[in-house]
Amino acid sequence: MDNIFTATFFVSIFASTIRLATPILLTALGEIYTQRSGILNLGLEGTMTMSAMAGFVCAYFSKSLFIGFLGGIVIGMICSAFMAFLSVTIRANQVIAGTALTILGIGFSSFIYRIIFGIQKLPPQVESLTKFDVPLLSRIPYIGTIFFQHNLIVYLAYILAIINWVVLEKTTFGLNVKAVGEHPRAADSKGISVTKIRYTAVIIGGAFAGLSGAFMSIAYMNSFSDTMIAGRGFIAVAVVVFARWNPLRAMAGSLLFGIASALQIRFQAIGVPIPNQFLLMLPYLVTIIALITVSKKAEFPSAYTKPYSRMER
Amino acid sequence: MRNITKIFGHLKANDAVDFKLREKSIHGLLGENGAGKTTLMNVLYGLYRQEEGEIYIHGQKTDISSPLKAISSGIGMVHQHFMLARPLTVVENIMLGRKSSRGIFLDTKKVAAEIRELSDKYHLMVDPYARIWQLSVGEQQRVEILTTIYQGANILILDEPTAVLTPQEAETLFSILRQMRDDGKSMILITHKLEEILSVVDDVTILRDGKMINSLKVTPATTKEELSRLMVGRDVLFDFYPVAVKPGKERISMKNLSVRNDKDFSAVRNFSLSVAEGEIVGLAGVDGNGQKELAEALTGLRPAEGGLIFINGKEAVNKPPVFYINEGVAHIPEDRQSMGLAMGFCVSKNLVIKRFYQQPYAKNGLLNYKNIKDHAKKMIQDFQIKTNSTEDITRDLSGGNQQKVILARELADDPSVLIANQPTRGLDVGATEYVRSRLLEARSKGSAVLLISADIEEIIQLSDRIAVIYNGELMGVLPKGSQPEAIGLLMMGKRQGDNASVKENY
Amino acid sequence: MPVSKKIIKITQAIFPALLMVAGALLSGAVLIVIAGNDPIAAYKALLEGAFSNSYRISETFVKAIPLMLMAQGISIAFKNQIWNIGAGGQFTIGTILSVVVCLYFKLPPIPTIILSFIFAFIGGALWGGLAGWLKARFNANEVITTLMLDYIATFLLAYLVYGPMMDPNGFGYPQSAVIEKVLRLPKLIVGGRLHAGLFVAIAILLLMILFWRSTLGFKIELAGQGNDVSRYAGINNKKIIIVAMLLSGGLSGIAGWNEIHGIHFRLMTDLAGSYGSIAIVIALLGNLNPLGIAISAYFFSVLIVGGNTMQNLTGIPYSLVDIIQGLIVVFVITRTAFKAESIQSFFRKRRYQHNG
Repeated sequence: MDNIFTATFFVSIFASTIRLATPILLTALGEIYTQRSGILNLGLEGTMTMSAMAGFVCAYFSKSLFIGFLGGIVIGMICSAFMAFLSVTIRANQVIAGTALTILGIGFSSFIYRIIFGIQKLPPQVESLTKFDVPLLSRIPYIGTIFFQHNLIVYLAYILAIINWVVLEKTTFGLNVKAVGEHPRAADSKGISVTKIRYTAVIIGGAFAGLSGAFMSIAYMNSFSDTMIAGRGFIAVAVVVFARWNPLRAMAGSLLFGIASALQIRFQAIGVPIPNQFLLMLPYLVTIIALITVSKKAEFPSAYTKPYSRMER
Repeated sequence: MRNITKIFGHLKANDAVDFKLREKSIHGLLGENGAGKTTLMNVLYGLYRQEEGEIYIHGQKTDISSPLKAISSGIGMVHQHFMLARPLTVVENIMLGRKSSRGIFLDTKKVAAEIRELSDKYHLMVDPYARIWQLSVGEQQRVEILTTIYQGANILILDEPTAVLTPQEAETLFSILRQMRDDGKSMILITHKLEEILSVVDDVTILRDGKMINSLKVTPATTKEELSRLMVGRDVLFDFYPVAVKPGKERISMKNLSVRNDKDFSAVRNFSLSVAEGEIVGLAGVDGNGQKELAEALTGLRPAEGGLIFINGKEAVNKPPVFYINEGVAHIPEDRQSMGLAMGFCVSKNLVIKRFYQQPYAKNGLLNYKNIKDHAKKMIQDFQIKTNSTEDITRDLSGGNQQKVILARELADDPSVLIANQPTRGLDVGATEYVRSRLLEARSKGSAVLLISADIEEIIQLSDRIAVIYNGELMGVLPKGSQPEAIGLLMMGKRQGDNASVKENY
Repeated sequence: MPVSKKIIKITQAIFPALLMVAGALLSGAVLIVIAGNDPIAAYKALLEGAFSNSYRISETFVKAIPLMLMAQGISIAFKNQIWNIGAGGQFTIGTILSVVVCLYFKLPPIPTIILSFIFAFIGGALWGGLAGWLKARFNANEVITTLMLDYIATFLLAYLVYGPMMDPNGFGYPQSAVIEKVLRLPKLIVGGRLHAGLFVAIAILLLMILFWRSTLGFKIELAGQGNDVSRYAGINNKKIIIVAMLLSGGLSGIAGWNEIHGIHFRLMTDLAGSYGSIAIVIALLGNLNPLGIAISAYFFSVLIVGGNTMQNLTGIPYSLVDIIQGLIVVFVITRTAFKAESIQSFFRKRRYQHNG
């Protein structure tokens, strides 16, 4: 018992923390755009499941993981376009629209999967995305194993976090998204189309969720099941609030969730009687506390979950 | 602007209005609430399309179809409600919607430098990297002005810019405006404060009931009285309603009441007034001078910062709304759609939202729908509410009928006090007459009525005494039959006589 | 009111709901055809699965009971414009406290059952009320807090069944010991699982009908109409939000009590499953009206029970049931957009026709 906390143990925990945080981070990064524009997409769970299925099917038949990721992203965009239609055009309650999308996404993905593959004793599999060891860096003891021995999507997710921060803070598009979420009337009066920006932001969110869903089926599990997303879509929503709509803080938030699951998996495997459920609970508790503190500040998008109409005042 | 006509439904908001703005001048646009000032400026800024008339800019006929078009024609507008996203910085707000010189990337540094330059030039004292929520209201307004200048505006429209400012901030604003005029810009100042006209404006155009009344140069010889007469109009003949009964004992009184507004600024200051049984006291005042806050403080909806309120002789300050309801304080709120009515409720339920838990509408915690409905039927008949059934959704009723639902609810139990805030605003002639007759009836039944209105005609017609509020303070109390000019002057901030005579009057 | 007129009114009230269900079933049929199957055979199999014998019929009620209770709870929050999406967590706390009372309180059977009921209600109520308090006190978005509390409840349950409450004779399975036989609700039919919890559900249904005629129900609805108008009418909005969430969560807690004493008799991981989201759909389809909710809860449990048989007999995946659920929500919100500005007014419109 005493000697499990070795250097190897920590190295493997940290390495899997980074891997486990990846799908949550990807989805959260996209949802940051969506929420910044004033839309709460609670349908990410369904979107990710659809994309996991689509990514798997595309990869399975094309024998190309690239096509798989592409398929996942496209389906993610289609699902979220539907969400955008419901919340922006129909002006439906976003909580309910998101619930509908989640139920539909899980239902459709499982339905289509069963139609295509039927019931098989051994679940069909694709060849998983292989690790890519970063030259030189991966050979650094400990650090190399933790940071530089992952598959490409993992690296991509963390690079995207930085890129998204730049997009939100340094580009006209990012400014437009923020303005639309804060003061749609002001944005409208300056000639920015609230509808167009919101559709774009929600669909970008879908593309990220799609990539993340495909990651789950073809780069993480190399098979598909309709329960494989297991709440990650909702966790991503929590991370976004936790991170106060900042992509870099989202990285920290995802890692917090990641380390909780990594420890939980490891403890379970070696049978350590530590109540790891409290560990798993921690990020959710922290999110509630974060929410209490941000609700008082100006950081919450002012037009959050509010449909915009030029007519109303 | 020539011959501008703008129609809403069957209301002519602007009726063949001519408006001429000289280059390098500050032009005041004067008029009472609803005179059509804001409508005219919204037409100029492209927010509304006029039904008739043309706009010429620098002699050239210009079609202004949208705010974007207005901006590109060199027209900028500073709205009363600022168009600023609070968590963003000043420079981010100004860059919004503007092409960047660096393509998809923001040229923050360049714009910030330009802003700083402009800010220095006009002494706006704006830090481009400050976040909006850190700024005071006056600073935010300067950001708005800066935005329009930065967009290249030569003509600036300012919609009641001093309404949200302290006197010191207003003074700063005026000196900025003068500076800008000397630098070649033209400005339109929408206002109903005569002092502003006299102190800062070069020309003034006066609107009344959607029509252009006069346009003149402001000279040192121009007087408040002259402007006030033009603004309020002399041609109105007032019918007086007879006094019903001799006023009885005091039902509601305020002593040195002070109230803050939503932005935590002082809205009502040291206000003392009382209303007696069987009396209508009219409280005249231009919008936004603390009437809403006063009405809310007198019904428990807003805490008082200081002072006392007595209802039926009981101390009532900072008691919850239920206390006032139970003391028989009825309230016709200014905002009838979001405060006065549950728009999604049916008529019968709206008629009991204050009394639903009392007999006969409820017993042992359960509602008695039959009694509620019977009550509604009676009210619909008594108050001539036009609705298909007691179960019609209130949202689907016309504005006049919605107001009648509120009247019916508030007057049904012969309230001891009635606070009526702008009770006829936006109603058609018929409904207006009806509401006024009901207020008089309430008086004759013994209610103490505080009628808050910006409509001088209404005040004069109905009131037994006329109090005037300006900037949260009581300017004076005038007797029945006072001339509109006298009231108008107080409404513009001229205090009645000396302080002693003010005190004598209440 | 004459009976015939009443029937017309009721038909008017439920017709749109029927239309939406029909639309969803029809869309489902199209999917079945695309999948290369016969929709009529599929729906026949579904109905057979739900009604062909007494066991199956009893199952439709067994499933409907907790769903209805949770949906009634959700309707209280929704009418108050509070979007409680964490009914599953409130349910879970109810199950935990029920089992705690049954296993550890060592009281005679009748007091145990009653105490278990009270604890389950209070537990669910506090879980929901906490989100209400956070909203009233800190203006914390209830969508996020109820969702987070849902997860926390799930992990709390997992902790208990893996840890302190794990059955010592359970071979290490993540479950608690079973509650004693005398504490279980009596079966209503032989060879089926239908239990006396049905009467609890009926009682709650009747109470809910009364509730919306009560002054408290009126207050909750009025507060949902907007902060200004309810304050104006003398209502303490913050208090009402907390009360609404307490009641909302409490009913889900009772649903948990019902499942423990009627069906599971012990704690296991993830007892709530997807009940939370199905109950939202039920509440919406039922127009937040107690009777409407009861009917749509039963309809959904028919779909759930029959769906498995359909899958076994025709090979059409069970997930078709999920799709139908999702489509119904989409139809509900889309229809709202064409009727009125907000989903809220939609509910009210329907409700008044029903009352009048």
